[in-house]
Amino acid sequence: MAQRLFENTVLPHLDAAFNYARWLTRNDADAEDVVQDACVRAMRFFSSLRDDDARPWLFTIVRNTWYSRASRRSTAREAALPDGAVDEPQDEALDPEERLMQQHTVARVRAALEQLPVDFREVMVLREIEGLSYKEIAAVVRVPIGTVMSRLARARERLAAVLKLTTVETLR
Amino acid sequence: MTCEQAERDLDAYMDRELDAERAAAVCDHLSGCAACHGRFAERDALGRMVRGAPYYSAPDHLRQRVLAGTTRSRSMRRVLTWAAAAMLAVAVGGGVTLLRSSSRRGDAVVEQVVDGHVRSLMANHLFDVQSTDQHTVKPWFLGKLDFAPPVVDLASRGFPLVGGRLDYLAGQPVAALVYQRQKHTINVFVSPERDSTAAPSSVGSVRGFHVHRWLRDGMSFWAVSDLNDVELTQFVDALRAP
Repeated sequence: MAQRLFENTVLPHLDAAFNYARWLTRNDADAEDVVQDACVRAMRFFSSLRDDDARPWLFTIVRNTWYSRASRRSTAREAALPDGAVDEPQDEALDPEERLMQQHTVARVRAALEQLPVDFREVMVLREIEGLSYKEIAAVVRVPIGTVMSRLARARERLAAVLKLTTVETLR
Repeated sequence: MTCEQAERDLDAYMDRELDAERAAAVCDHLSGCAACHGRFAERDALGRMVRGAPYYSAPDHLRQRVLAGTTRSRSMRRVLTWAAAAMLAVAVGGGVTLLRSSSRRGDAVVEQVVDGHVRSLMANHLFDVQSTDQHTVKPWFLGKLDFAPPVVDLASRGFPLVGGRLDYLAGQPVAALVYQRQKHTINVFVSPERDSTAAPSSVGSVRGFHVHRWLRDGMSFWAVSDLNDVELTQFVDALRAP
């Protein structure tokens, strides 16, 4: 029964857990290992979950799992950037030239995000991609809300600078 | 609002984290200031770009592995639960009764205390009176209960009082005092103790929530929270100190 409840409560957030882990680790294999370990832990701590917040709760566990693995192998945090192609979202309504432009933008944004320090990267992902509130992010990352805000502001400044810079370079 | 203030609030405005009044002030400023509006448009475009970044969905083989993994870990979990219970029994010991092993009535009330706590968080009904001022919260209970719960603010000890409400425990109306520790909420239920044989104090945990109970001046106090037990014990010690 607990198993069933776990599957119904936690597994719907598996994609979100993987997305977050993938942005933390920046590669598929590590992200898969983190999520699998995190789910085993989640099962063990399932009783600490309140009904309404399974997603941020799972994020917290994913983050702790990643963090303890990363600190065991301190090199993990600086793992080389993968350069393989990934499935980028595509808008079928666009003509080929526009689609190419869009792919180019997506790749650029992805690269810019991946190059952010992980402290900045994760707040961007949790806020912009997962849509968490400041309060929820603060709980997942375990820092005060003020820190979440300053990290977000600095992450955005950096991203804006990097993306603007590449635009200028492209135009040259 | 000055440009400086607007700039400071820009992220929170974009993230819809400002209260209505402040958001309106920023919106007002943006409509009249081209420079700030430009900054906002830039940030907004950036947000849209980031939201267009790849979303990595869990691959199917991971889903299968997770399902298999959590099934396997069930038997291990049972072992761990027993081990944890044994440790708790050893750790608690002298002078304090374990709620789990105490009378049936005790068990049922602990469950209700935890249920009351969870309900207060889930139903968004944490307060009937929201105030950090003990002199506002205490009189609020007058006329609503046939006893006067002692109300103290513990902000100086890191546990600010945030409000109070009426609740029910074992069919009796009780005072619920709400304290905060960072993101954790602590509910303290207070009611006159009618059972003269009740143990003077006890601790326990149910579904991941820690519960402390004690008697004082003929009243029963129940403190319940998801806060870790070390900090909850600090809180209880602070509250019990004369």
